[in-house]
Amino acid sequence: MSQRSTPADVSFNLTVGAIAIVAILILIGPVLIVIATSFTTTQALRFPPPGLSLRWYGELFDPVRSAPIHTAALNSVWVAGWATVIGSVLSVLAALAITRVARPSARALEASFLSPLVLPTLSYGLAALMFFSVMGIRPSLNLLIAGHLVVIAPFVFRTTLASLTQLDPALLEASANLGASRFYSFRRITLPLIAPGIAAGAFLAFIASMDNVPVSLFLSTARTSMLPIRMWGMMESTLDVRIAAIAGVLIVATLVLMVVMDRLTGLTRRMSA
Amino acid sequence: MASPSTPAVPAAQPLTLDGVTHSYGTGLAVDNVTLEVKGGELVALLGPSGCGKTTLLRIVAGFIQQTNGKVVIGDRPIDELPPNRREIGIVFQNYALFPHMTVAENIAYGLAARGESRAVQAERVKEMLATVRMEGFAERKPRQLSGGQQQRVALARALAIRPRILLLDEPFAALDKNLRLDMQIEIKRLQRQFALTAIMVTHDQDEAMSIADRIAVMSHGHIEQLGAPAEIYDDPATLFVNNFIGSSNLLKGAVEAVDGSEARIALACGATWTVPARGRFEPGAPVLVSVRPEQMMLADAAAPDRIPVDLKLSLPIGGALIYDVAAPGGEQLKIAVPRRPGMAASAPGTAHAALAPHARPALFPVA
Repeated sequence: MSQRSTPADVSFNLTVGAIAIVAILILIGPVLIVIATSFTTTQALRFPPPGLSLRWYGELFDPVRSAPIHTAALNSVWVAGWATVIGSVLSVLAALAITRVARPSARALEASFLSPLVLPTLSYGLAALMFFSVMGIRPSLNLLIAGHLVVIAPFVFRTTLASLTQLDPALLEASANLGASRFYSFRRITLPLIAPGIAAGAFLAFIASMDNVPVSLFLSTARTSMLPIRMWGMMESTLDVRIAAIAGVLIVATLVLMVVMDRLTGLTRRMSA
Repeated sequence: MASPSTPAVPAAQPLTLDGVTHSYGTGLAVDNVTLEVKGGELVALLGPSGCGKTTLLRIVAGFIQQTNGKVVIGDRPIDELPPNRREIGIVFQNYALFPHMTVAENIAYGLAARGESRAVQAERVKEMLATVRMEGFAERKPRQLSGGQQQRVALARALAIRPRILLLDEPFAALDKNLRLDMQIEIKRLQRQFALTAIMVTHDQDEAMSIADRIAVMSHGHIEQLGAPAEIYDDPATLFVNNFIGSSNLLKGAVEAVDGSEARIALACGATWTVPARGRFEPGAPVLVSVRPEQMMLADAAAPDRIPVDLKLSLPIGGALIYDVAAPGGEQLKIAVPRRPGMAASAPGTAHAALAPHARPALFPVA
């Protein structure tokens, strides 16, 4: 650090810094623009807004005029909630089993459980639709929960697996040595220590389900409309500013959730570090 | 186990390993080890890494099921018992304290797992904290404690279940040197107080020497020698033990004559020594003579039993003065003499190395 910087160093630093600024602009810019747009006074989506008002938020929260949006939002939360809960339970069980077994088959299972993360979700959505119709299962919210489950469970699986591999096996030996049964050890040692990992994964899974388009596109119907699909529909038909308002609400809700999660898991981490 | 409400200490029970063998795949980690640890005795398993000492400890704890042989506490074989039914206390190498629990919760854990009432738990926690002198730390988390304090908590947690056997896995490895002696004394005190039969695994001979009643020196899965620390040091049974414990000078030679329990050895470096001979040695047989540095001294005049040497270096190390000398054959020898204040070290140059009075060199056949 005390070395004198050469022209090459300076140009390298400038380039990296410029790339970083562009990256940050691309990340944050759209968010700022959509939020600014949601406060517009105009009839249609327009940036920059000529004037600021809360009219579109008022419109969005109007129980009568925005009823379809509310239904779609509730459907999305319902599906994301159940998919996250079921996915978390299954993922934790799978991760526990896989870390306990050293056989190569466990590695193969691990890869297959993680595969939805890399598999094209659009193909999966189409495949799921065909599969369920062949099985004669009618579209419903439960079907959407099942479909989302497949694509979001790997988030929890991955973070839980990471927490489990960081868990010192000597702790479980100490627990057994002190007289604890396997279940008691799980409840008092394993679970509290991997809880932050599970929570972080569940958070990611919930968000992934909330804005999932490809699976919902194939599995939802007019009766089971989901928020992202409905937003896309509104976008196609009208340039309804309520879309921007929905985006604003989603961004704020996600930020709040993130802060809460960080407090909770950060707190747990501090307690367990 | 005594009922938790009676603090009476049960009588110490012997721990017997009977022909214990364990193999990982094709490798033999523990090779037919038979060892009886008497009630209330502390035996150290001492050896380099990979000698099987840790495997043996884990077999006793129940974390590994041995391939062959029996582990018996008192007169009861425990091989069929899972780890959580063995009632053996363990102090783990890095203590393995539960990071998300307070000191009090850690200590109470064993009792809680047994379904003891909160009142019993609280009483035992108080008692154990007093035992390890950690009264003010009940509500701390392990990471807020120093290494020595963590070890006290680990001890308290292990002893809170009133175990019959205490296992110590490299207990002092993670401690500062200054703290080690304190904790060694502490562990010895607690082991006596609770009349525990104990096994300690260590690769550090000083640790083993300082607190073990007997030491089992291990190599390649078997016990090379079992004996009191002084016995191991003074009369190493094998060359491995001789080289592993303390430092020693090895001199090549050949047997000239055997006279009862003594043998006259012609050393390759010129001198002739008469040393105690255990076992059978034929005249003419090549041997190695091992002598501890502190059992040698420097002399001025030449003599048939003195080795002419070249004194290269003298190092004052604490209460001793270490001389580094070279014998005619090029062998490096170390000689340690007690150092008194104001004593001048012998000057480098020609000198004569001799056995000190009461020296007891050890004799090993050359394979």
